[in-house]
Amino acid sequence: MNVFDDIQFYLFNHHHYIDEPPDSDRYDSTWVSYPNANFNAEVAHELYQRWTREMLLAEELGFDAIAVNEHHQTIYSMQPATSVRAAYLAALTKRVKILVAGVPINLSWPSRVAEEYAMLDVMSNGRMEFGFPLGTGMEYWSNAGQLNPTTARARFRENLGVILKTWTEDGPVRHDGEFYNYRFLNVWPRPMQKPHPKIYIVGSGSQETVDVATDFRAGYSIVFTPIEQQLKAMANFREAAEAKGWTVQPDDTIFTVICYVADTDEEAVREARPHIEKFFSWMHRVPPQFLSPPGYVSRSEFLRRAQSAALADGTRATWEDMVSIGRIICGSPDTVADTLSHWAQEAQCSRMLMVLQHGDMPEWKAVKNMHMFAKEVIPRVRARSSSGEAAKVLAGVK
Amino acid sequence: MASYTEERFELRGIETVVQIAGEGDPLVFLHGAGTVTGFDSLLPLAERFRLIVPFHPGFGPSADDTTVDDIHDYRRHYLDLFDELELEQIALAGHSLGGWLAANFAADHSERVTRLVLAAPFGLKVDDHPTTDFLAIPGDQLPPYLTADMSIFEGHVPMPPTPEFLADRYRESTSAARLMWTRPYDLKLHRWLHRLTMPTLLLWGDADRLIPVEQAPVWAELIPGAEVKTLPGVGHLMFDESREAVDAVGSFVGEGLTV
Repeated sequence: MNVFDDIQFYLFNHHHYIDEPPDSDRYDSTWVSYPNANFNAEVAHELYQRWTREMLLAEELGFDAIAVNEHHQTIYSMQPATSVRAAYLAALTKRVKILVAGVPINLSWPSRVAEEYAMLDVMSNGRMEFGFPLGTGMEYWSNAGQLNPTTARARFRENLGVILKTWTEDGPVRHDGEFYNYRFLNVWPRPMQKPHPKIYIVGSGSQETVDVATDFRAGYSIVFTPIEQQLKAMANFREAAEAKGWTVQPDDTIFTVICYVADTDEEAVREARPHIEKFFSWMHRVPPQFLSPPGYVSRSEFLRRAQSAALADGTRATWEDMVSIGRIICGSPDTVADTLSHWAQEAQCSRMLMVLQHGDMPEWKAVKNMHMFAKEVIPRVRARSSSGEAAKVLAGVK
Repeated sequence: MASYTEERFELRGIETVVQIAGEGDPLVFLHGAGTVTGFDSLLPLAERFRLIVPFHPGFGPSADDTTVDDIHDYRRHYLDLFDELELEQIALAGHSLGGWLAANFAADHSERVTRLVLAAPFGLKVDDHPTTDFLAIPGDQLPPYLTADMSIFEGHVPMPPTPEFLADRYRESTSAARLMWTRPYDLKLHRWLHRLTMPTLLLWGDADRLIPVEQAPVWAELIPGAEVKTLPGVGHLMFDESREAVDAVGSFVGEGLTV
């Protein structure tokens, strides 16, 4: 068994709101405080239709899964209620798994998230996977003060514990916690997959999220950080799990890859670059205040971020910087397949979350990219599986 | 001029640092939600009193205590500290967040507070003249809300600010957020201010952009017999900006002394 025997590709789409106003330079943020007077429902409706077409195309093209996530008060994402989106997509698909990654559970109640997710699992006939994010700092500014960032991490742990408890233990059970007191914890429905659907903790590589994932024996999914950091975090995750007495399997980790494929490396960069730059400079325009509300990270983590150029926000990074730190892979099918295979091998990771639509990229390019990826890259990577290698040997013999 | 000596106490396992200067009747000063400029500007008070300036948990050199997340946790923390310091009766002054805390302490322990100074206190919800929600203001834009006199930061703020300096501010904001993130005022405070039966001075800079001076009469109406003194042209960090503010504390507290 090698890491390529069960390699799976997830199509992720940000669900951006694409309608940049002519005076966009004057906004210092497209999150939290970006004026919602600029929201146009007709534009958004067309975009929802488009994102639906792209998600459904993924099933047609042979992707293994589609993935949705949640953010609030931002053009970055039109999915402030990700379970709603997942339910819609579940109804329109038959085969693909659906990764919901996910409701920042602190923004809801743990029993409610457990119920919503169990509903999705039953309705989709057991096709669900769930990623649990703490939620970006921005989500804490976008919600009522009842959600205090200084207790976010403690609350996150308790929430996760409640969800797993009610999914796995026959109810009613009692839960007496620091944040929640359940007298009758007894969700209905319960998930179709037993003991529960595959779960991942969503993190950016900080020790704090690695600790949560390893404590709960959950998978670990890394969001938008440079690849070197993702590799480091996965190695750290693997070691921390071993120290706690369990072994990480290839499907316990998910890479996130910003990717564009074309016939040649040059063509790929030429076609993708302006849109990826738009993604960082406009969709991801976030001032430091919103990234780190007070108490969202510890003083030492704050200091680590303030001192590390690699962690500086992407808004100001140049294209060359982004390529060199491995935020992005754009190239020919061979280039992309080789790079992905190298990462999969190095991290012993069999789950690839592919971002193939970037910033203000038009539909034709995103769709072309998806076709190229599915037809040219996926087979090249899969050929490295045990059976693929065996077939090559046989072909050589003939 | 007197200078501080630093004393350290273990209170429920949390190291608490207290600056003390001078001799005489005790005057405790409870600081606001930031300690950037230090407390040397208060030292003239040490000429007449035993000036006691504790650092709150999570501020300055005092250790963090994540369980101190309620104004009454602070109040009880100071009950412990005053026991350690063997303080029975004190004159109490509080600035900003410390003013809110001092008002609560004095309302609940009026027998221990001889005279009370509330300097631009935080806490009341005054709809017509709301307190600026400082947690919502980016750090680099905050100084003009604190003072019109940027020279008071000289020697205290590195330019450009270093990561270490920013991390220290972030930590103090975190401590403040434990208390104030949910809402930047205290919805119940007004019900209990009638318990401030000791002589009380409300001290306010009329150029305060954080907690507007228009809140002073609202406090005064709720506190029996409170005096109000406003300082023309002075902002929120009144003790850094104005020697008159420091002297006003001294003379008000001094009036209570039987010399």
